Amino acid sequence: MNKLLYIFFAVLMCSVTMAKAQSNTYMTYSMGFGMGDLGDFISKASFRGAAIDYRKMIQPNIGVGFNLGWNVFYEEKSYDTYEYKNQALSGKQYRYSNNIPMMINADYYLNPGEKVSTFFGLGTGVAYTRRNTDMNLYTLEQEGWNFSLAPEIGLQFNNNISSATTIMLKYYYGFKAGDFDAAQSYLALNVGFVFRQP
Amino acid sequence: MNRYLTFSLLAILTGFGLAGCYPAGPDYTEDLDVVYTTFDDEFDFQGRGTYAMPDKIVTDVQITNSGDTIYEYMKPVYADQILARIDANMSALGWNKVDINAVPDVLLMPGAISSTTYFYSYWYGWWYGGYYGGWGWYYPPSYTVSSYTTGSLIMTISDPNIDSPINKSATAWIGVGNGLLTSSGNVSRALESVDQAFQQSPYLKTN
Repeated sequence: MNKLLYIFFAVLMCSVTMAKAQSNTYMTYSMGFGMGDLGDFISKASFRGAAIDYRKMIQPNIGVGFNLGWNVFYEEKSYDTYEYKNQALSGKQYRYSNNIPMMINADYYLNPGEKVSTFFGLGTGVAYTRRNTDMNLYTLEQEGWNFSLAPEIGLQFNNNISSATTIMLKYYYGFKAGDFDAAQSYLALNVGFVFRQP
Repeated sequence: MNRYLTFSLLAILTGFGLAGCYPAGPDYTEDLDVVYTTFDDEFDFQGRGTYAMPDKIVTDVQITNSGDTIYEYMKPVYADQILARIDANMSALGWNKVDINAVPDVLLMPGAISSTTYFYSYWYGWWYGGYYGGWGWYYPPSYTVSSYTTGSLIMTISDPNIDSPINKSATAWIGVGNGLLTSSGNVSRALESVDQAFQQSPYLKTN
């Protein structure tokens, strides 16, 4: 919980101290593609997700801020038999994974004043992961607060001085934590609007 | 100002959108059906070949005030189908059915139970201000009660010939089919659970 408080205050301080600076606020629809352990658990891509990103421009080509996202992975498994030692259980499984990354980010904009601006950066923070395996009337719930890194790359299409559209690719890597004995990672493809504060 | 209004509206719409498309899960009652089996890995199924089974399925047991035990049985119209399906599966695995007096190698005991879970909640209606002023609440409170009932078909295999200090045989195999009960009077889901229990227990095959 302390980690969250640090992040919250850091974001707050950034917002307060640089309130007069130029900023970009990204509201994006997010698609997720599970990788590693998450991809093994749910092989289907997620089309349920959203993210809010905020960057204060501390230099014309450097922005710092935060990223808050939510990706819901879901897969209905067909009827199958799961074996463990001398036991076997057959049925349909409904698998869910809610991934909520909370990051502090820094981005570098290659050509900030131009019509199309390319940027790349890194985020660090925590991701709350809640995995549910539903079978019969019961659910197996696993939770974790994963320390996370999230490199990202994106394009920003500047429509005018106050708005833009964006497409960005983020790779969330949450180190193993809580009930998870493996890292939770996925690619997120985000598209959406940018509100620019000149 | 308009920018912030648009921003807020978008945020709200995104929230509603996400809530609306949250994955729903199972669609049909049978989607919740499960079949569980387990066995004693030191029990020699291959070395045995005959079994006996009752011709009724117990669904409940009552012990009267006088100490008598009364069994309740599943209606024959349903039980006969289930017992026939168990016989068919055992036969397919190489087992021969014998009478209980013929000293069978194992006993196969079927049973069925149901369990109902109730949800109960209530709340008070309340008001503030109006003609009387101040806080208050309506009486009586509102009640809601809902429930679901699950049913289990349980099959056990044990060897009555193994000597035991407590005169009870350890269970060598358990097969359980469980699901939500409906009022359809259809035993097809129970029959499927019997088939599945034997299908996922290939070690029951005897010589």
